[in-house]
Amino acid sequence: MKIPEVHIKAVNLAKSVKVTDGSLTILHDISLTINRAETVAIVGASGSGKSTLLSLLAGLDVPTAGEVHLAGHKLHTLSEDQRAAIRARDVGFVFQSFLLLPSLTALENVTLPAELAGDKQAKQRGLELLQQVGLAERAHFYPAQLSGGEQQRVAIARAFITRPAVLFADEPSANLDAATGRKIEDLLFSLNAGQGTTLVLVTHNDELAGRCQRQYRMQAGRFVTAKEEMAHVG
Amino acid sequence: MWASIAWRLFWRELRRGELWVIAFALFLAVGSVVSLSGITQGVKSALMQRSAQFIAADKVLRSSQPFDTAVIELAQQNNLATAQQMQFDSMLFAGDSMQLATIKAVSGGYPLRGELLLRASADVNSGEYASLAPGSVYVEERLFNLMGIAPGDQIEIGMLSLTVNGVIANEPDAPLSVFGGAPRVLMHLDDVEATQIVQPGSRIGYRYLFAGAASDLANFEAQMTPQLTAHQRWQDMDRESAIGSALERAERFLLLAGLLGIVLAACAAAVAAGRYSQRHTQSVAVIKALGATTMQIRLIYGSHLFLVVLFSLFCGAIAGQLTIEAAQWGITQFLSDYRAEFNWRPLWLGILTCVICALLFAARPMWRLSQTAAIDVLKQPTINLGLDKLQLVSGAVAIWGLMWLFSGEFVLSVGLFALCGLFALLLLGSASLLVRLAKPVAAGQSSARRLALANLRRRLWANSFQLITFSLAIFLALLLYFLRAELIGQWQQQIPAGAPNQFLVNITEQQRSDLNQFATQHALQLDSYYPVVRGRLMSINDEQLQQEATKEDRSQQRVGVGRELNLTWLSELPANNQITAGNWFDRDSTAQVSVEAELAERLALKLGDSVVFSVGGEPIMAQVSSIRKVDWNSLQPNFYMILSPDLLADFPATYITAFYLDAERNQLLNQLARLMPTVTVISVDTIIKQVNDIIEQVTVALSFILVIICLAAGLVLVAQVQATLEQREQELAILRTLGAQYAFLRNALILEFALLGAMAGLFATILAELMLVIVQQRVFNLPFQPHYTLWWLGPVLGVVAVTLLGWWQLKRLLRMPGAQLMRKVLQG
Repeated sequence: MKIPEVHIKAVNLAKSVKVTDGSLTILHDISLTINRAETVAIVGASGSGKSTLLSLLAGLDVPTAGEVHLAGHKLHTLSEDQRAAIRARDVGFVFQSFLLLPSLTALENVTLPAELAGDKQAKQRGLELLQQVGLAERAHFYPAQLSGGEQQRVAIARAFITRPAVLFADEPSANLDAATGRKIEDLLFSLNAGQGTTLVLVTHNDELAGRCQRQYRMQAGRFVTAKEEMAHVG
Repeated sequence: MWASIAWRLFWRELRRGELWVIAFALFLAVGSVVSLSGITQGVKSALMQRSAQFIAADKVLRSSQPFDTAVIELAQQNNLATAQQMQFDSMLFAGDSMQLATIKAVSGGYPLRGELLLRASADVNSGEYASLAPGSVYVEERLFNLMGIAPGDQIEIGMLSLTVNGVIANEPDAPLSVFGGAPRVLMHLDDVEATQIVQPGSRIGYRYLFAGAASDLANFEAQMTPQLTAHQRWQDMDRESAIGSALERAERFLLLAGLLGIVLAACAAAVAAGRYSQRHTQSVAVIKALGATTMQIRLIYGSHLFLVVLFSLFCGAIAGQLTIEAAQWGITQFLSDYRAEFNWRPLWLGILTCVICALLFAARPMWRLSQTAAIDVLKQPTINLGLDKLQLVSGAVAIWGLMWLFSGEFVLSVGLFALCGLFALLLLGSASLLVRLAKPVAAGQSSARRLALANLRRRLWANSFQLITFSLAIFLALLLYFLRAELIGQWQQQIPAGAPNQFLVNITEQQRSDLNQFATQHALQLDSYYPVVRGRLMSINDEQLQQEATKEDRSQQRVGVGRELNLTWLSELPANNQITAGNWFDRDSTAQVSVEAELAERLALKLGDSVVFSVGGEPIMAQVSSIRKVDWNSLQPNFYMILSPDLLADFPATYITAFYLDAERNQLLNQLARLMPTVTVISVDTIIKQVNDIIEQVTVALSFILVIICLAAGLVLVAQVQATLEQREQELAILRTLGAQYAFLRNALILEFALLGAMAGLFATILAELMLVIVQQRVFNLPFQPHYTLWWLGPVLGVVAVTLLGWWQLKRLLRMPGAQLMRKVLQG
C-alpha cells in the first residue's frame, strides 16, 4: 500500500493580533496534516478563525507561534517575498468576493499568475481554461461586464492556470445564489479532481464541506469535533 | 513579464480615467511652472529690453580712452550690433551768443535700442521727423532760447561750423539726473575730428554700445571682462535708470507668484498620488497573493509613475510653452519692439519640479502601495485619507526644496516654509478643537445639519490635509490679489500724480523773488529752494586726492571724485534720505559733512574723517559726521555731500527748486526761459511717462499671473473633492438605500462644504494677513496696516468657492438613482 505524502502540515499554530488594550489570540494551538490530492474543508461560523488559518496555511501571513509546512517548505521561516515565490509556483486561490482586477479582461485576469511566474504559454493555457469554465466567448470582457457567477468562474480558471499543487478556496460560493453557487462548486471540484490538486476549502456551509474528504471544525480559534460544537451550541 | 502586465494595467487605467488625475496634477505642476517661469522670464526680459532703451543698447562699455577697434571687432565676432558715442562739454558759439553745452557725438546705428526722435523745428511737439547726418546738429529745446537761434542757423563747435537742423524730441539715453546740467547737442561722430576738440588731456567720455541676443551678449561679456583696462567699465543699467528698483520689485514679486503656483501643483500631485495608491491597494494585495514579489509590484507601479511623469512632462512642457508664446504675444502688444527669446530655464525648471513632485510627493504613496501585505486580500478594503507622516515630511522637504530652487533665496525659502509649517500646525490644532466642539453642537440640530456636522467632524480628522490645501489655495489667491494691489500702490506712490516734473537749476539769490512772483502769477506750486555751491573735494585726512586720469603713474595716490560736486547745506534731513551711520546735524553742529553711502564707500570715507573742499578757491574743512543712504529714484534733488549750515552760508549760492506743470501749459517754460535765461529748466516728464508705462505693463503681467494662480487653486480644490469621491459614493449609496431624500442629502452636502469653506477661508485670511505684514515690513519697509477687506473677503471666498466646486462635482452623484449608485459602489 502506498503511504500518502504529507502536503500541508501545521504544528501548534497560534496567531495573536494587537488590539487597543493588549493582544487578542485568534488561533490557539492548531495542528493538522493534509495529504497530497486530498480535499479538506475547514468549517466554522463567522469569526471562528477559519480564514486566519487559511491565510497561515497559504503563506499569506505568518503565525505568532508554531510551524507551517507547505509542499516541503517551512513557511514560518520564510520572508514575504520567499513565500510569494512559493505561492506563485505551488498555490492557487479562489476568494469569496472573486477579487478580479477591474482593469484587466477575463483572459488577462486568468493569465496574471502565470505571467508573474514568467510562463510564456500563459495566453494559450488561459484560453483553454476559459474554455473549460465555459467562458471562452467572454475572454475579452471586463469583470464589470460579467455576472457574479461568471466572475467566480474566471477566478477559478485563474486559480488553476499555474497548475498549483494546492488550491485554497475561501467561501467560493457564499456571494452567489444557490443555483449558481452549486454550479461553481461543481466546477471547482471537477477541475480539482482533473488536476489532482490538494484542496483546502474554508466554508460555513456544511453541505459544501460534506463534498470534501475530511473536515476540520473550528470554534473560537480551536479545532472542535462536531459533538463538541453541538454541545457548545446547545 | 512584469513589463507587459505593467503596460496593460497602465493602458487600462488610462482608459478607466483614474490615472488621468495624477497625470493631470503633474501636468499642472509642469505646465504652471514652465508657464509661470517663462512668463516671469518674458516680463523680466521685456522690462530689461525696455530699460535697455534707457541706455540705448543692451550693454554699454564706458571708457575714458579713445575707441579701440579690437573691442568692436570682438563684439562683431559675437554677432553683436555696435555703435559708438562720445560725450564732452564744450562752448557753442552762434554769432555773439555763446553757451556751454554737453555734446553727444554718435555713430551711424545709434540708438541700438529705444527711439531717437528728431524734429526739423524748434518745438518738440511739432515739425517733420528728421535724421542725423554729418554736417548738422540737433539741440535741446531750451538752447534755442538760451542762444537766440532758430533751425537752419549755424553754430560753431570748436573749429567746425554746423547747421542746427532742429530739436531733440526724444533721446533714449538722456541723463535722468536732475543735475542734467548744460543743454544737450547731438552731432555725428564723423564730424568730431574736424572740431579739433579732442586733444590729449581733454575730458571726453567714450561709450561702446552693443546689442544682440542674450547668449551672444553673455559670451561677449565673459570674453571682454578679463581684458578691461583701468579706464574701461561696464555701465550699470540699474543705477542709471529710475526704473531700477521697480524692476527689482517686479522680479521678486513674479518669482513669489511662481513659487505659489508650485506649492499648489505639489499639493495637487500629493492628493492625486494618495488617491491612486488608495484605489490600488486591493489590486496589489490580490497580485501579491497570486505570487508577485514586492520588487515586481514596485516595477509595475513604479513604471506607471514613470510613464505618467513622462506623459505629463511632455504635455505640460508643450502647454507651458504655448502659454509663454501667448504671453509673449501679449507683451508685444505693449512693447512693439519686444524680441522674444527662447530660454531653457523654464523647461528644465519644469522638468526638475515634476521629478521632485513625483519623487517626494507621489513616490511615497507608491512605496506604501508596494508594501501592501498579501494578507490584506482577505480584509475588507478601507478608504483611508489620513496623513502619512513620512509623506508629510517628504512633501514638506519637496515644497521647501522647490521654494529654494525657484526663488534662489535661501532665507526667503526658509522663512516662507517655516510660516507654512506654522500654518499647518495651527490648522491641525484648530481642526482638533472643532472636532471637540462639533459633537455637542450637532446634538441639538436638524438631521441635515447633524449629518453635515457629523461628516465634517469625521473628515476633519481623516482629511486634515484637505482642509490645509483648501486653505492654502484660498490663501494664495488672497495673497496674490492683495500683494498685487499693494505693489501697484507702492509704485504709484513713488511718482504720485502732481509730483514736480520741472526742475529749475542755477537760480541766483536775486532771481528768487522774480521766480516767486512768476509762480504766483501762473498759479504754480514751487517746491522749497535748495542752495547749491560748486566745490571740489581736495583731500581726505590731509591726503591729497587724484583729481583726474593722467598719463603719469599716480596709482599710489588716493582716488577722488574727479569732478566738481554740488554742495548744499541743510538743517533738516531730506525726506528720502536715511542715516546709516553717525548722526544728523544738531543745532550746535559746526564744520560737519554728511556723505552719501555709496560715495563714502568709493572714497573709503569713515565717520570722523576730515575732508577739505575747495570752494571758489578757498579751502573749507569739515568732519564726516554721518553717512546717508539716498533714494536716487525719488526724482527729488539729491546730494552726495550735505554740509552743516555754518560752513557755506557766506558763499554766493545758486538755488534749485521744482514745480508741477501740466503738459498743456508747456509754453510757460519758454516764457520762463526768456525771463531768466541763465536758469536751466530740466523736465522729467519723459522719465515719469516711461516709469508709468512700465508700471502699466507689470500690472497687466501680474493680473495674468493672478488668473493662473486662481485657476490652479480651483484645480487643487477639484482634485481634493475628487479624492473623497469613492468614500462619498459609498456613503450616499447607503443613505439612499436607507431612504434619504434628495433635498436632505443636498442640504447636508451644501452645509458641509460651506462650513469647510468658511473654516478654510478664515485660516487663509489669517495666514494672508500674517504674510502681508511680513512683506509690508521686510520688503516695502512700511508700517503695518491691517487689510479690512481681507477679513470678510477671505471667508466669503472660501464658502462660495468650496461650496460651488463641491456641489458642481457631486451633483451628478446626488441625482443618481439609489440602485444605480449601489451597483457602482459594489462593482468598484
